[in-house]
Amino acid sequence: MSGHGFLLAAYVPGTSLVHRAPLWLKFLLVVGCGMTSFLIADWAVSAAMLVLLCGLFLLSGAGPARLFRAVRPVLPVLVAIGLFQWWQLGAPTAARIVLNVLVCVVAASILTATTPVQALLDGVASLARPFRRFGADPERFALTIAIMLRSIPFVAQAYTDVRDSARARGLERNPRALVLPVFISTVAFARQTGEALAARGLGEPEDPED
Amino acid sequence: MTQTDRPATARTPRRRGRWNATDLGLIAVFAALVAASALIAAIPVGGLGVPITLQTLAVMLTGLALGPGRAFAAVGLYMLLGFAGLPIFSGGRSGLGVLAGPSAGYIIGFLLAATAVGWLTVVVLKRTAHRTGRLRAILLFAAAMLSSIIFIHGLGILGMMVNAKLDFSKAFLADLVFYPGDIIKNVLAVSIALALHKAFPDLLLRRVRTVDPRP
Repeated sequence: MSGHGFLLAAYVPGTSLVHRAPLWLKFLLVVGCGMTSFLIADWAVSAAMLVLLCGLFLLSGAGPARLFRAVRPVLPVLVAIGLFQWWQLGAPTAARIVLNVLVCVVAASILTATTPVQALLDGVASLARPFRRFGADPERFALTIAIMLRSIPFVAQAYTDVRDSARARGLERNPRALVLPVFISTVAFARQTGEALAARGLGEPEDPED
Repeated sequence: MTQTDRPATARTPRRRGRWNATDLGLIAVFAALVAASALIAAIPVGGLGVPITLQTLAVMLTGLALGPGRAFAAVGLYMLLGFAGLPIFSGGRSGLGVLAGPSAGYIIGFLLAATAVGWLTVVVLKRTAHRTGRLRAILLFAAAMLSSIIFIHGLGILGMMVNAKLDFSKAFLADLVFYPGDIIKNVLAVSIALALHKAFPDLLLRRVRTVDPRP
């Protein structure tokens, strides 16, 4: 998990209609699906919506394998819930519950499969813009996002290193020995980062505190 | 338990330049810590080797280490990027789709629990300024348990009721399996937080003291 590779897993490059649709429209699709999933009372409507969204996903050229990979993490728990609610509430209700969750998951993965990570992050950073008048600073916000992304591999590496050294000392069953050094080095890393930013004149508030 | 009325309830956590570059670094790196903790494998605990996942540990520690404002910003940043589509939720899940899943309540609960435990941590550190012994550890543990029961378990149950349409008693039972792990994690979190404050007194301790110089 070194580097940023793991963050790019969901995106499938392409030039389809879905790829070219503006980010806000795709975002609206996801939110809309989330809202309507609470209103739908008939499982057939949910199933129709799911088919429609799967069609949209495949229209982007990402392929059925990608679609399955997007849905796979939720499948075990959905099977469990589906069977339980089938027993409790009957087949139509169980089908509606499971299908509604699937609708939301597929809608969200349409967004992530057709939008480059950088565009998504720019979208998130631009969320700060309307709050500028309340003291929000979009540039500092974007900077914080960038630092976070670059720090994930560092923390993951710290966990691996600490686990190896705990094993070398015969402490692999001692949770404190497995976790405390990670947090110490993480805080130290954060402060180094802060000092490095301050030394470059980045990240400091624009007007000094009075 | 009104935890969010004082610090950083603003939608976006930059508040009039109150935070300097080190604070930004801490917020960003703790957000990365929560993300990495969700992605790595569970660690074995004790002689039996029951594995525990580290995400709730990282969330509670963010509150215990940074205090309410910065903890809210760090966990909020993590959630925001997860919702935007980075695969940083547990099990490599991502996107707004998780809000429709049965574990949605837990993820929202993380944000409130980290803020609440951060706020309580500041209160405890102030009140026990001159008694740093066992009392402080016990009070911090109580603060962590209270926050996780009310917010993580409370919202977790609510999330299962809304998204999986379980009724309360069944959701409560489904949630009950997380309690033993949570108690272990909170003990661990408090012990690590105290070590962190000893190693880095300016992380939160000195801030608390300068805000309220008690005689």
